[in-house]
Amino acid sequence: MKCQYACNSAEHVSRRSFLQGAGGALGTLGFGGMVHAQAAKELERKQKQVVVFWLSGGVSQLETWDPKPNTDNGGPFNTIETSAPGVHICELLPHTAKQMHHLALVRGVNTKENNHGKGAYIMQTGHRQTPGFNFPYLGSAFSSLLNPPDSPLPGYICVGGGGSAKEASFLGPRHVPLTLAEGKPPSNLNRHKTLSAEGDLRRRRIRKSLSDRFARGRRQAETEVYNSSFDQAANLMGRKDIFDFSTFSDAEVAKYGKHPFGRQCLMARKLVESGVTFTKVTHSNYDSHSENFNFHIEQLGEFDKPFATFVSDIYDRGLLEHTLIIVMCEFGRTPRINQRLGRDHWGSAWSVALGGAGVQGGAVSGKTNANGTKVIDREVNGGHLFHTYYRAVGLDPTEPFYFRDRPFAKATEGTEPIKEILV
Amino acid sequence: MGRRISHLLPRFAWSACWAIALLLASGFATEAADVSLHQQIDLHIVAKTPEFDKIAAPLAADDEFLRRVSLDLTGTIPTREQARQFLEGADPDKRQKLIEQLLASPEYARHMQQTFDVILMRRLAAKNVSAAEWQTFLQKSFAENKPYNQLVAEILSADGTDPTNRGPARFYLDRNGETNAITQDIARVFLGRNLECAQCHDHPEVDDYLQSHYYGISAFLVRSYNFKDPKLKKVVFAEKAVGEVKFKSVFVESKKDNTTPPRVIDGKPFPDPEIKKADLYVVKPAKNVRPVPKYSRRGLIDEAIGSAENRRFARTAANRFWAILMGRGLVHPIDFDHSANPPSHPELLDLLTDEFIAHKFDVKWLLRELTLSNTYQRSSRREPAAIAATTDVPESAFAQAIMKPLSPTQMAAAVLQATGEADVQRKTLGDKLTEAALHQRLNRLSNIIIKLFADPASELPGDFDSRVNQVLFLSNDPTSAGLVNQRAGNLVDRAAKLSADNSAAVADELFLSAFSRRPTEEETKEVEQFLTGLTDKKRIEALQELTWAFITSAEFRFNH
Repeated sequence: MKCQYACNSAEHVSRRSFLQGAGGALGTLGFGGMVHAQAAKELERKQKQVVVFWLSGGVSQLETWDPKPNTDNGGPFNTIETSAPGVHICELLPHTAKQMHHLALVRGVNTKENNHGKGAYIMQTGHRQTPGFNFPYLGSAFSSLLNPPDSPLPGYICVGGGGSAKEASFLGPRHVPLTLAEGKPPSNLNRHKTLSAEGDLRRRRIRKSLSDRFARGRRQAETEVYNSSFDQAANLMGRKDIFDFSTFSDAEVAKYGKHPFGRQCLMARKLVESGVTFTKVTHSNYDSHSENFNFHIEQLGEFDKPFATFVSDIYDRGLLEHTLIIVMCEFGRTPRINQRLGRDHWGSAWSVALGGAGVQGGAVSGKTNANGTKVIDREVNGGHLFHTYYRAVGLDPTEPFYFRDRPFAKATEGTEPIKEILV
Repeated sequence: MGRRISHLLPRFAWSACWAIALLLASGFATEAADVSLHQQIDLHIVAKTPEFDKIAAPLAADDEFLRRVSLDLTGTIPTREQARQFLEGADPDKRQKLIEQLLASPEYARHMQQTFDVILMRRLAAKNVSAAEWQTFLQKSFAENKPYNQLVAEILSADGTDPTNRGPARFYLDRNGETNAITQDIARVFLGRNLECAQCHDHPEVDDYLQSHYYGISAFLVRSYNFKDPKLKKVVFAEKAVGEVKFKSVFVESKKDNTTPPRVIDGKPFPDPEIKKADLYVVKPAKNVRPVPKYSRRGLIDEAIGSAENRRFARTAANRFWAILMGRGLVHPIDFDHSANPPSHPELLDLLTDEFIAHKFDVKWLLRELTLSNTYQRSSRREPAAIAATTDVPESAFAQAIMKPLSPTQMAAAVLQATGEADVQRKTLGDKLTEAALHQRLNRLSNIIIKLFADPASELPGDFDSRVNQVLFLSNDPTSAGLVNQRAGNLVDRAAKLSADNSAAVADELFLSAFSRRPTEEETKEVEQFLTGLTDKKRIEALQELTWAFITSAEFRFNH
């Protein structure tokens, strides 16, 4: 997305003033981490972080957060008690049950959307799709709003796939997700062996000098985008330690499980510990049109323990207080069990779980009827959820984004935060 | 074929008259002068914006023009020698001669092939027609300067059944013959309309984009499908004699489907003739048989789209060529040509359209006229003082050249030329040097760079994006490190062999090779300081660092 020339977005202003206040030319050369260490620490302490667990394909609410045992739609599983008094969830999540005092449930979600792509869009942008325009995704939005402008860290990282350049929309390339495909760090993070650190610094200084001279008298929006990507790259190289996933102990690996999702949760923990603003972990694939129950035994069997371990580890490290955790997907699954023992797409009565920063652990909002076919109390949609996420991390969702002087609502207007699950 | 000045006068307000006066003063006879298109372009651009001369950037210097026109017409930067020769040349017509030379070069056909490959195929994977067949078709077409409407007609009438000429069928066959995919791209590329939304409903924000327009185009194609020919053992395009488009808006509750005969936007409809059921086919459909209908709807589409009567086709093409060279369409974005998004210079777009039709869709002629214009040859730079005085000149005034990020193919070619990798390969080829042989030799490296910069894919400049993985590649990948290693005849090697006492010559070598220009004093001094006191290995390292800084600088990344 092209940035408007001479655009005075809030980010540009704050970023410039920050740099003027705290650093010099060296700062813009990408050694901000050193120059602003103190300032960065200060920001980091206050900084809110977010982790989304994206259960791709659509997890069944009946086999997770809103079970309906002993009804026509219930399926074979029972409920279990949890660490939150009075809150019962499906027996497929025994480890998560022990963390429910950290988590709140929203059981009245009705997004009225049964299409994978459109559902995913609503859940990650807070808006229905409109032709010809892309709203920024939650990760890019929070990267732009929460990540300190001079942070050496990328604001939005996708672990285990997903993540497209389109997600940033008008927020620009700085907020495009960095995808760690197959759990690998980005390529080319290490300086080439034939080049010394001083040599690298020298050549980047000349590069900058040539580029600055070129920009004189020319439109600069695009040269700025280009130059800032060199700063970003340098920053990333300076903090490649956050991608070093080789140092986990055997005990930790065992705790999370050796399968890819277990490892990705462990990586997410490290990213949160390193201060990354927004991390999205994707677990595929819950699209259980047939054999729904066997499917969920297997998938949730993989999800439950590493997820619960993640929540508990984040809490133990004192990070949960400022880290918002969201478990979501594009839609739920049909209460009615189809002929192939499957459940199909169902956007009209399903659940989302969240916890941590700003969220009241153990709270439950919304209610579905006895066999789960519709919401009977406190119905909410993607807009309500977005208002809630923004409030949870201390941001005002009613203050719009501005793009080309036009306001764009951060979350569907006319919806409100789900106050009863916020602290 | 020009127009008489007197034809122009009524179109202009008085503000244009001084420009015309200037033109006349500069040696044009009043009465009999034919004003060529490039001069008319400038008149239109000047007339549109009040006090244009005060806000306009000056004409580009020779070096700026050389780099720009080389990238635009041949997809690469000139060699150091070409740059030196051009800059030293004293011929007052040297710009015009350069344009002719570039248009006649094999690099021109290659560059146009690469450009139109992306426009027409959006980097879709080659599946049913090989990339080589397709590229050869495009390259040959541009080399022989095939009229643009003929090129498009060949694509739209191809079915892949001629085994010696399957290239043009790739447009249909590698979209899997899928009616919606084809409809959308025909509308986008040939009619200047992004009709994607109109598949399901009238466009919610664009009044002129109707669902019936979408299905009018679909109706030409709805009976066609990909068919694996058992004899050819290849996928070809087949067509049935029956089948109608059906549509209803998802916004409107209606049980009844609508339909439409084939029709291009609001052009004339093509109702099917009455044919007895028994006579519907020349070759009847059967198992493993490619049916041939007596009346082919698809057979009408090349004429319906590409004929001169369909002005929209010529207009979209003229606007696209303009955008390719000027960095922005007169209608912008180029696929949103509708009444609520009028062109910045409506009369100029009409003129380009008329003239492109009158010149029988002669692509080289159009590119020549565009590049000869002052509008194209304006600098991308204005004096800082001039900018302060006129802060808000929109890009659409075309008062200052718009910087265009290098396309992935331009980036690859420019990097390989600037670092001297291309020179090394030229030397190796010796007598066997041809454009094709050189292309072949550079193919592996350029594909690595193209792949890196083609993500995310985009057709035209306008959504510049620089991704961290690209920068990390340029900075640290062994491939990039290899390009700045000293090898006999490459840039680092040539610079290293210049006397260490003569840093000015080194600066000259670097600037001519990478930026196609001579350094300023300030820049020469900077290079001198960078190299001062360095010898042997240290000096080589410094030259590598400099070369890297040049090819990663903003000046290199953009066509300015």
